[in-house]
Amino acid sequence: MFSVILYGRNDSHGYNLHKRAAISFNALAEVMSDPDDEILFVDYNTPEDHPTFPEAIHDTLTEKAKKVMRILRVRPEQHAHLKSKTHLVALECQSRNVALRRSNPNNRWILYTNTDMLLVPRTEGESLSDILGAVPDGFYQIPRFELPEMLWEAAFDRRDPAENLRKLRDWSVRFHLNQVVHNFMPMKYDALGDFQAALREDMFAIHGFDEEMILGWHCDSNLAARLALYRGRVDTLIDKLFGYHCDHTRVAAANNKGRQTKMNDQDRYIWDISTPYLPAQAETWGWPDVTIEEVRLDRDTSYQRFTAGLDAAMEPATVPYTTTSLEWQLYDDLSYDLTHTLPFVCDQVVTFPRSTSVMIVATRAEFVTRFAKAWQGMGFVGTLLVPNECEGLPTDLPGVKRGPFKELINQAHMFIFEFGLATQSPDEPVRRGRLASTIDEKRLKAVAKLFRQAASTEHETRPTGRRLPRRFIGVNVIYNKYWPLFTDHIGANINPFCSQVLAGVPREDPSLRGKVLRFRGRHAV
Amino acid sequence: MAGAAKPNADTEAERLFLRARMTALSGDSDVAVNLLEEATTLAPQFDAAVEAQAELLDMTGHSDEAQKKYAQARRIRAATRPGAPDRPFAVRQRGNFRSEIVAYDTVLRSLKKNALPYIARGNAYLATGKPAQALADYDRALKLKPGLLDVQAIKAEALSAMGKYEEALTTIDAVLTARPSDAEALSTRSVILMGLGRPDDANADLNRQLALLPTSQAAARACIALRLAAYELAFAELDSVIARQPHDPYWRLYQATARLRLGQPPTTVQVAEQGTWPAVLLALHAGHATEQEVMAQADTDCRRAEAWFQLGAVAVARDPEGAKRHWRQVVDHASPSLIEHAAARNELKRSGA
Repeated sequence: MFSVILYGRNDSHGYNLHKRAAISFNALAEVMSDPDDEILFVDYNTPEDHPTFPEAIHDTLTEKAKKVMRILRVRPEQHAHLKSKTHLVALECQSRNVALRRSNPNNRWILYTNTDMLLVPRTEGESLSDILGAVPDGFYQIPRFELPEMLWEAAFDRRDPAENLRKLRDWSVRFHLNQVVHNFMPMKYDALGDFQAALREDMFAIHGFDEEMILGWHCDSNLAARLALYRGRVDTLIDKLFGYHCDHTRVAAANNKGRQTKMNDQDRYIWDISTPYLPAQAETWGWPDVTIEEVRLDRDTSYQRFTAGLDAAMEPATVPYTTTSLEWQLYDDLSYDLTHTLPFVCDQVVTFPRSTSVMIVATRAEFVTRFAKAWQGMGFVGTLLVPNECEGLPTDLPGVKRGPFKELINQAHMFIFEFGLATQSPDEPVRRGRLASTIDEKRLKAVAKLFRQAASTEHETRPTGRRLPRRFIGVNVIYNKYWPLFTDHIGANINPFCSQVLAGVPREDPSLRGKVLRFRGRHAV
Repeated sequence: MAGAAKPNADTEAERLFLRARMTALSGDSDVAVNLLEEATTLAPQFDAAVEAQAELLDMTGHSDEAQKKYAQARRIRAATRPGAPDRPFAVRQRGNFRSEIVAYDTVLRSLKKNALPYIARGNAYLATGKPAQALADYDRALKLKPGLLDVQAIKAEALSAMGKYEEALTTIDAVLTARPSDAEALSTRSVILMGLGRPDDANADLNRQLALLPTSQAAARACIALRLAAYELAFAELDSVIARQPHDPYWRLYQATARLRLGQPPTTVQVAEQGTWPAVLLALHAGHATEQEVMAQADTDCRRAEAWFQLGAVAVARDPEGAKRHWRQVVDHASPSLIEHAAARNELKRSGA
């Protein structure tokens, strides 16, 4: 019957976002009763190494919410062409159009709302699907009622939407919450963006939201104005349901800077519009030709993929624990526990697109073998690129492509540089003062050289069309002699030694030292 | 002129509606509800008055009663068939837009230098059958924002509705010079050209419009095909339209018309609610209604045009001259914006009349 379209990203937009959103997702799912109903959440521009926002809070969602939710992940690279034009990191119109394009065509209605809304049918037991199924074609709004932060934060149980809706029915009377704020037509009510129900075919006819609006604010009013023109009127569903907004103004959100807030031009986008249509974007709205990943919370989850990969790559431990040490005298000992480290490496990659191709520059054959198994087990279909310059590594693994470094570098979407000892055996104890052999030194030298080259030339060796810098993952680069090398070139966070892993994108160090480092790296000095 | 003058109400029901709104604002909801009740007694299809009554009842705690009124307003709207889908959005709207006119009057008290409120109010006037008021609003919008092609396009519709076809043609020509692939503007010009008695030029625009519309817009394509009296194409499009809107009797009527004109045997058509328009036209096709019965129900200009056209279609095989007489009536009396007008012209042209 209807597709709810929401958007956001895995960040901290306003106060206690996680609770507000969980309450809202669960409440929206609670009022769905048609098998075609869906919540489309566009996760826009969340950093590559983060899970999507709903994944990050999945444990607070009901089974029903997980079942009806489809997450459409718009990657930073897909936003990159707009980055210089806006101060915002998440774009409403683009997000909502991406979802509209991919919404269930069986659904008659599209409902635009936000991740802090609860919709309460006035007739108990009636669903929003029932309501929308019974009303004639039109463009519908409802007023938004405000919910003090204390109420939703203190009294709502995220995973009990039915009880939350019951509480709202009670509070609305006890605390006089229901005040309708009328507005100028075509914005029938204030804060109209929290409930606008339009026919899916109308939204396609008017070419979706206006994707020129990239400065924030008034996207909802623009839509209202255009749909009001298209339909001739704005209808209400106030007799059918009430909408409550979890107030979150204790802390201003990123798009709210008081009077300094940058906004889309009201005259241009509301009061001077003259047509519902957007012919300039008629063929392109919602990015029909762009592949948008879809993530589910009820199947094939990141956790399932992560554990499937690791289970494929290693056996369970046979001892209660293993040991290592970060004492300074062991600084030159490059032995490390591979099976302990592998989960942290996989953790760095699991949120990336499945089509990602990774260059692996390594010393230990066992690392490549196990990682390749984990990679496939996690459902990745991209190629593992292993340069010929790395000797002693397996050549016949499925999904692995060998070739000269220079040929492979512009096929890689990400890099893994592993600084281990080629001669370390699987059952060898670690960090006991072991010295590198001649073979180890030779292989490490090759890895270090390729690392410098890759980091120094990253900008000009990107795959065709790629705009954003690629991620470098360093394995066994903490508290040993490759720590300074890695962090000289890569802007990585400080990580615990126990993980053995650092990651980040190449640093843009404008100092003389930075320039020298890049020059030396580029020319393999 | 916005804001300065009180909105004009053309009927007693509208006057009561406006009085009720003012009374409600002064806080006397009971009196307002009674005024609205009077208004809806006088004009039972006045959905805005019914909805205003519902709102007042709801606000004063009579929610059960209010819900019934809201449902009633929706039933009225649901029963109002929008204009043909091949026509521009502004002339597809049907119903009573008094409430919208009042709302935009209010906006215009504060916003005098922006185009949207004038355009929206103009559209409301146009949909309410007041093209002169609409034209005044479009001209005001164009004065504020000269050269707005979208406004010029609907201005041409208002001029056309007023019978000012020459001026309408000049206006829409300017739009189509700038935007030759504007499908809605082509529709507008085809209507104007029909009004000017230039069916060949009108058909050329209809064919251009048809070529621009994707196959996904089957309903619009079917309407254009019907205007062109291109029944083979119409028949093909109508199958998918009926699959999507099985309860709209007009599509079945048009399919029956196409079938008849293609010389195909009629099928058993489920006639919707007996006695309701256009059920009697389907009954005519099935041989269950007479010309007199049809014309007795044709109580508006639009219905009379539909009736004459269908009478012609049913008669043509056995009485070609009689059919031509019916179609001539359509051409002489019906608005060129109607599907039946263009179709009748094309039927007559084809028969050499």
